Amino acid sequence: MHTFSEFERTKDMKVLFIDNQGGGFADYLEISHSTTVEQFFSDKMGGRKPDDYLIRVNRQPVPKDYVLQEGDRITITPTKIDGARY
Amino acid sequence: MFFEDSDMEDMRILIKTANSIQQALVELRKYRYLASLERLANLVKQFKELGIEARKLGLCLARNWLSAADRCCSRANRSLNEIPYSVSRIRQLTEQPCLKVPELSFFIEELKQLQQEFDHLDFDRENNNISVETDPVTLDGLYLGPFRIELHLNKLCKLYEANPYSVVALDPHPAATDETVTHPHVCNDKLCEGDGAITIRTALEQGRLFDFFTMVRSILNNYNPDSPYVSIYDWDGEPCYNCGYVMNSENSYYCSYCERDFCEECSTYCRCCDETVCEGCVVSCESCEEPMCRHCVHKCAECESFICGACMEDGICPDCKQEELDYENEQSEVRRSTKQQRQEETAKAKGRSESLVENQQHSSQAGAAVQPNSMGQAGVFQGQE
Repeated sequence: MHTFSEFERTKDMKVLFIDNQGGGFADYLEISHSTTVEQFFSDKMGGRKPDDYLIRVNRQPVPKDYVLQEGDRITITPTKIDGARY
Repeated sequence: MFFEDSDMEDMRILIKTANSIQQALVELRKYRYLASLERLANLVKQFKELGIEARKLGLCLARNWLSAADRCCSRANRSLNEIPYSVSRIRQLTEQPCLKVPELSFFIEELKQLQQEFDHLDFDRENNNISVETDPVTLDGLYLGPFRIELHLNKLCKLYEANPYSVVALDPHPAATDETVTHPHVCNDKLCEGDGAITIRTALEQGRLFDFFTMVRSILNNYNPDSPYVSIYDWDGEPCYNCGYVMNSENSYYCSYCERDFCEECSTYCRCCDETVCEGCVVSCESCEEPMCRHCVHKCAECESFICGACMEDGICPDCKQEELDYENEQSEVRRSTKQQRQEETAKAKGRSESLVENQQHSSQAGAAVQPNSMGQAGVFQGQE
C-alpha cells in the first residue's frame, strides 16, 4: 500500500473524479499507475467508511482491489445525505 | 422498464429519451444565461436606486434638510444590505463555467446505468418525464413505502427557480398530523434536499442523471432529526384534539365525555373520582374551584351553581348554606329582641301600677285629699292594671 508521499511522487496518469459531496464538481486528477480504488477512496475521502458511499468506476461497481486505469471515471456518491424542511 | 433488451425498438426509445434529455440541457444552458441576465439587471437597478439616494442626499445637504438627509441614509443603507445577497445569487450562476452539453452517447450511458441500478425506470413521452422507483424506504423502523422520483424534463430549464422533479409516495404512509408529508423530508411531493442541494443541482446541470437519482434516493434513505417536516417519532402519534400536539400512546389522555384524545396540557382529572377529563368537559366546583367531571358535580337547589360532593351541604352550596344560616340567625335575633321588648314593656307597666297603688294608699292614710275621689283624677282600684 502506498503512503501519501509515495502516492504523490509517483502520480503519472489522469482520472476523472466526480465527488458528489459538497460542491459535487467533476475534476481530472493525477494519480500513480498502481492505485487501487480502495487507496484512491482513502486518499480522497480521508477516514470515511466506503460502506457509506456508492463507488462506481466507468459507471460500474468494481472490487476494492481494482487498479485504476488512465482516463477512468470514478464517481463517489454518499448513500446517506441529510435532507431538511427548508 | 422501457428497454429490456438491446433490440432495435428498445434502442430507438433509448436514443429518443437521450435526445430529450440533451434538448432539455440545451434549454437549461440558455435559461442559465437568461437567469444571469435577470439577476445582473436586478443588481444594476439596485445601484441606480443608490445613485438616486446619493443625489437626494446632496440636495438635502444643500438645503440644510437634515431630517430628510437622515431618511436618505436609511434608504441607502437598506439597498446596501441587499447588494451582497444579489451578488451571491449572480455568482451562483457565473462562477462555474457553463459546461458544454454532453454528447448523445453520454446520456445513453447514463440511462443504461440507471437501468442497472433501479428496478423500475420509465420514460413518459407524453409528459416528458423520466422516473425511477426506489425500494421501500424504512427509517428507524418506520415504514414509508417505495417512492417514485420523477424528473420533469420540461421543467429542467427552470432549475434555478424551482426543483424540476417530484418525489411521489407509491404506498403512502403519511404523517398522522399532515397527509401531505409522506417522508420526513418530503412535503407535497417536493423533496427538501438540505445538504444535497448543491450536488443535486450540479449533477442536473451536467446531465449526470445517475448521480441525480442516486442522490435523491440517498436523501430518502436517510433521516435528519434536526430538520424534518414531521419527526419520525411523532409520525404515527395521535394529535391532541385541542392543540394539535402529537402524542404517542403513553402520553395521550382519553376524555370519555367527548370521546377524544388530548395531551397532558389540555387534560386534567376529576378530583373526586380520578376520571380523565379534557379542558372542554371539565367542570369546576364553584366553591373550592377544583376540577370535576360532570358526574361528580351537583346543582345547588337554591342558586343552581355546580358544586362538588365535598362542598355540598344539605343539597345546597356553601354560599347558600351560609345565607340560610345568616337568615336563621337574623330571625332568631328578631324573635329574641321582640320577646325582650315585650318583657320590658310588661315590667314597666307593672312598675307603674304598683307605684299608683302605693300613692293611693299613702294619700288615704294622710286624710288630706285635695279634692274628692273621681273628680279630676282617674280612679284606680286594686286589681286593675
